[in-house]
Amino acid sequence: MKYLNKGIEEIHELLKSKIIKPIDLVEEAFENIEKNQELNAYITLNKEEALKTAKELEDKEVDNLLFGLPIALKDNIVTKDLKTTCASHILENFIPLYDATVVEKIKAKNMIIIGKTNMDEFAMGSSSRTSYFGAPKNPWDKNKICGGSSGGSAATIAARDVLFALGSDTGGSIRQPASYTGIVGMKPTYGRISRYGLVAFASSLDQMGPMTKNVYENAVLLNALVGKDEKDLTSANKEEEDFTRWIGQDIKGMKIAIPNFLMGDVVSSEVKGKIEEVISLLKEKGATVDYIDIKYLENAMTLYQIIAMGEASSNLARFDGIRYGFQAENVENIEDVYLETRGQGFGDEVKRRIMVGSYLLSGENAKVYYHKALSIRDDMKKEFQKAFQNYDLIIGPTSVTTAYDLSDPMDDPRKSFMDDVLVIPVNMAGLPGMNIPVGFDKNHMPIGMQIIGNYFEEAKMYQLGSFIEKELNLDLTPGGEK
Amino acid sequence: MKEKLSREEVLHVANLARIKLTEGEIEKYQVELKKLLTDVEKINEVEGYDEDILIACWDEFARLRKDEVGNMLDPKQVVENAPHHAGNYIEVPVVIGESEGA
Repeated sequence: MKYLNKGIEEIHELLKSKIIKPIDLVEEAFENIEKNQELNAYITLNKEEALKTAKELEDKEVDNLLFGLPIALKDNIVTKDLKTTCASHILENFIPLYDATVVEKIKAKNMIIIGKTNMDEFAMGSSSRTSYFGAPKNPWDKNKICGGSSGGSAATIAARDVLFALGSDTGGSIRQPASYTGIVGMKPTYGRISRYGLVAFASSLDQMGPMTKNVYENAVLLNALVGKDEKDLTSANKEEEDFTRWIGQDIKGMKIAIPNFLMGDVVSSEVKGKIEEVISLLKEKGATVDYIDIKYLENAMTLYQIIAMGEASSNLARFDGIRYGFQAENVENIEDVYLETRGQGFGDEVKRRIMVGSYLLSGENAKVYYHKALSIRDDMKKEFQKAFQNYDLIIGPTSVTTAYDLSDPMDDPRKSFMDDVLVIPVNMAGLPGMNIPVGFDKNHMPIGMQIIGNYFEEAKMYQLGSFIEKELNLDLTPGGEK
Repeated sequence: MKEKLSREEVLHVANLARIKLTEGEIEKYQVELKKLLTDVEKINEVEGYDEDILIACWDEFARLRKDEVGNMLDPKQVVENAPHHAGNYIEVPVVIGESEGA
């Protein structure tokens, strides 16, 4: 009997009435992962510990919707006593001494950590091909990428191995792989979720978020993750709310904007066509949809390159081979330890970004590039704010195309930025953004739509997302219903 | 505009980033870094530079923590996490001495 393809409420009832036990779900998850091993979705499996935890839960009361459910974590979220590699050689054998705040929250709900998912090295990339452990594969077509950087989390959800995964999104790394694999991925407002224990890439942009097979389950998981944390002083102090509260409600009268930039020439006609179909649907159901201009969106990629690479160079300075992780052998002095460890320990994409970032922050350059980028970013935020005075939500495609071949060339260092051109603006402004699947291309590869909300308005995004999901009623299981 | 960085320019940024490059990498990065550095130059075409900057999207949450001793990690475990350690110390190669000027 299979349970992990059912909805969480049904599973919850089965657990509550003791028809199934958490260990049944854990065993099923590992069977699925084993069967889908070829996807290379995981870097580390937590089998022994997960089975042990599941056994322990048998004596506990099933007190919340997430109780006993397996979850996969992106491998840049630190987990006590469980290897956390960031898909890098430099942290290949790194075992953290503490849990990230989100991990504590997950454990408090008695969820069961099943393993750590594959990703682009230090979350730098858009295809998960920069992983030291090889790229994960797309369950819809194993010759295709599953996007990145949270590619392993996307693959394992799309394949229905588990119900829940966490990703992180610095410049689209939850939403873009979600669009390539036909799943729901939410990057909440910057500050919603404590970043404590998320290995930092670009601190002013990074945010973790839930990746799930549907909108409702995404909102339920987000409920468990948010909140102020004294260990992350950028975490927001907001009143508790239920993100599922508007799911199922009508969208009549909802005012929706679509920025012309998001429907520009770079977007493939197939993707654009699918988004236009959704627009027609929304209008038919009583929403208004207007095309608008939002200034500075065309500059977002440049701002992102400067801010993300600059902050990465600073954040990744901590990997010096002294205190933890990999250390190069046969070196004679401490300077060489740094140089050799970092030279051998980091992959290509990471080295490129750290080098450019170091240059951008050095001396006067900090003002010319970084400070100016922060200033334009402030202008962009104001432009978004203007739009949200007149509109409830913004929509557009998530990615310019559907997933491309794993064998496509990787020789253009700009490629990973260009893949994310539509998702980057959200991170620049710190807004929440979510991908929902809206259809397929001619090769039956998923197409995703992005819903962008004003600050802390994730509940409204879930309302629209679930409405579209219900109307479209797509079969989102690769290979058909299981 | 030239299409690649000079060898010296690549070595300069590699040094800033404390990364030792192989010969093959130096050559490769002469082209690749140039592409990225050309991209970021586009910031000069954007108008509107002023002192208002956006660091975190919500300033109202910016706050400082009280400077109090909290729960700390076990020093023994921290030291044991280092690639080389002895007793309560993290072992490192020569810092000052033979290889001065390195």
